[in-house]
Amino acid sequence: MAGPLTNYRFWAYAGFAILLLALPLVGDEFWLNRVAKYLCYGMLGAAVALTWGYAGVLNLGQGLFFGIGAYAMAMALKLKSYTSLQQGSDQPVPDFMLWNAQPGAPTELCCITPGSWMWLPFQWQWTGVIVAVVLPAILAGIMGRIIFGQRISGVFVSIITLALVLLVRLVVTDAQPLTNGFNGLTDLGWLTVFGHEFDPYAKGTYYLVAVALILVLGLSRLLVATRAGTILQATRDSDTRALYLGYDVPAYQTFFFAVSAAIAGLAGMLYVIVSEFASPSFLELSFSITMVVWAAVGGRGSILGAAVGAILINMIEAHVSETESLVEAWKAIIGLLFVVTVIYLPKGLAGFAHERIARLAGPRAALQLKEEAGQ
Amino acid sequence: MVDILFIGLSLSSILLLVALGLAVTYGAMGIINMAHGEMVMIGAYTAVMAKIWLGLGLIAAIPLAFIVTALAGLAIERLVVRRLYGRLLDTLLATWGIAILLQQAIRLEFGLSFFGIHVEGLGSGLQNVPVPAALQGTLRLFGHDFNAYRIFIVAMTAALALATWVVMYRTALGMKVRAIIRNPEMAAACGIDVKRTNALTFALGSGLAGVAGVLMAGFKTVAPDMGATLVVDGFMVVVTGGVGSLLGTVAASGLLGEFNALVAMVSNDIIGRAAVFAVVIGVILLKPAGLFTFKGR
Repeated sequence: MAGPLTNYRFWAYAGFAILLLALPLVGDEFWLNRVAKYLCYGMLGAAVALTWGYAGVLNLGQGLFFGIGAYAMAMALKLKSYTSLQQGSDQPVPDFMLWNAQPGAPTELCCITPGSWMWLPFQWQWTGVIVAVVLPAILAGIMGRIIFGQRISGVFVSIITLALVLLVRLVVTDAQPLTNGFNGLTDLGWLTVFGHEFDPYAKGTYYLVAVALILVLGLSRLLVATRAGTILQATRDSDTRALYLGYDVPAYQTFFFAVSAAIAGLAGMLYVIVSEFASPSFLELSFSITMVVWAAVGGRGSILGAAVGAILINMIEAHVSETESLVEAWKAIIGLLFVVTVIYLPKGLAGFAHERIARLAGPRAALQLKEEAGQ
Repeated sequence: MVDILFIGLSLSSILLLVALGLAVTYGAMGIINMAHGEMVMIGAYTAVMAKIWLGLGLIAAIPLAFIVTALAGLAIERLVVRRLYGRLLDTLLATWGIAILLQQAIRLEFGLSFFGIHVEGLGSGLQNVPVPAALQGTLRLFGHDFNAYRIFIVAMTAALALATWVVMYRTALGMKVRAIIRNPEMAAACGIDVKRTNALTFALGSGLAGVAGVLMAGFKTVAPDMGATLVVDGFMVVVTGGVGSLLGTVAASGLLGEFNALVAMVSNDIIGRAAVFAVVIGVILLKPAGLFTFKGR
């Protein structure tokens, strides 16, 4: 949809991309590693905006897809870690499996603990990379087909997704010999691509995450500007009307649900490369709701806005957390910020910025804004 | 087997305690109150503070907690929820923010900890409330030993459920609430003050949570984050039972509690809880409106 706002939007995305790529000029490696984590969160914010802002589906279990991505990558990297190679077998074996093994069990990945054979494909690191993105998409596709096919909507989708992520969290923590339970997967190796090792504290890894985020934002933006994206927004505003106009509403919803899941999986995968751990805390309800907070503050109706919201909140949080007495107060501030945003700025910072720009740019831009908001 | 069923009944009663208030606020008002668990927490802290300041026991703290949390609920309704009627998912998010605020308020002793003032009973530490001597130990019934306090909770839950039913189906307020559930516009047109009724309903739901909090303080450690998991369980019960149906909420809590106990018996507690989530997902997929429904809205 071309219009006076389109230009502003393009420059907002381009400016953000340039800023991300220029950051290594000003910061050291330690700081860049932290920023890279926030960029992964930014990706999560964008994933939430895609389903919530554009499809009107509030997924309270986005952490499930992030967690799958994180665990898939962490399994592959765990097998590459130095300690896994030193367990007296010619194949790598994760250290925690030895602690959990029955006495007399063979120290082979195939059969050391019940179900440990599931780790076998992850000896090839690309299994982790592929599973991290593809499995969330497939799972979301199946979930979407069932949920949207049944014409379940609104808060019921939220409750199903929420119940599912909590269910998986319980199963993961219970399967101690397979997943190391509450402790999660730590002490990981590095991702290696064509002989280049992605050291989490090197600029190369930062660029990997930054480029991934730029691609995700750009492609998502192009996706919502397509016909499919328009139909999706029509569904959000009135699903019955869209259905009676002859559109296969569940198919569109499922498609965007799956794309959002794949983005969350990618974010989880990159997060593990940067932070070198995967833990069941990714599957906690509070994490999934926190993502929604980021997207709401940044602007649920804007993919860039939601990403920026996630990055900004985490940067401020990291800054505040350096003063110990403020750590708990910060949580209260987040709570308050959230209440205030929902009541006074329902479209978030991006919505606020949109209105300002539209006012500056004149009546035609204001009209375009109204059209896009479906008013 | 009787023991397992009793454990299930005990779990059910706790689920129902939390869900009763939610059934009222969510069912009647269409508000998803994520701060409901924090109302339970405030009720529990009321019991803690009543013990320290007033020397009151657990039983005496029950009416006090009802009043405190009902007033807190009234304040939340006035300040936040009132602005968000008709925006279901937004109420979920805003009340989540309130939930965090309330947790931190207790943890930071309402901000006094910044000034070095410590209030006994508050703060991030764990608190305990002693159970009255009469309710300690076990009770022998039909040849089986039962924990006396658990029986007390089951009985109290049944009494509260009955009281809620009486309020909803035998009082003028209840009739107004049910009219609003069926059709808010028509209820307003008939002269019902929807805003006032909603505020009272929210206070009632919060007060019920406060009572639940006192009862839970007797067997659970009291901590600022104790409510966070409760609210999820409560919602699952309400949605499974059918929104707006008190009978459905009672039935769903019984079903889920017993199912949890039975699965936990053959496997472990974690899998028992996971199985409950699976049942909830299954019910919503098969019957999105819940087990017990009526036509309306």
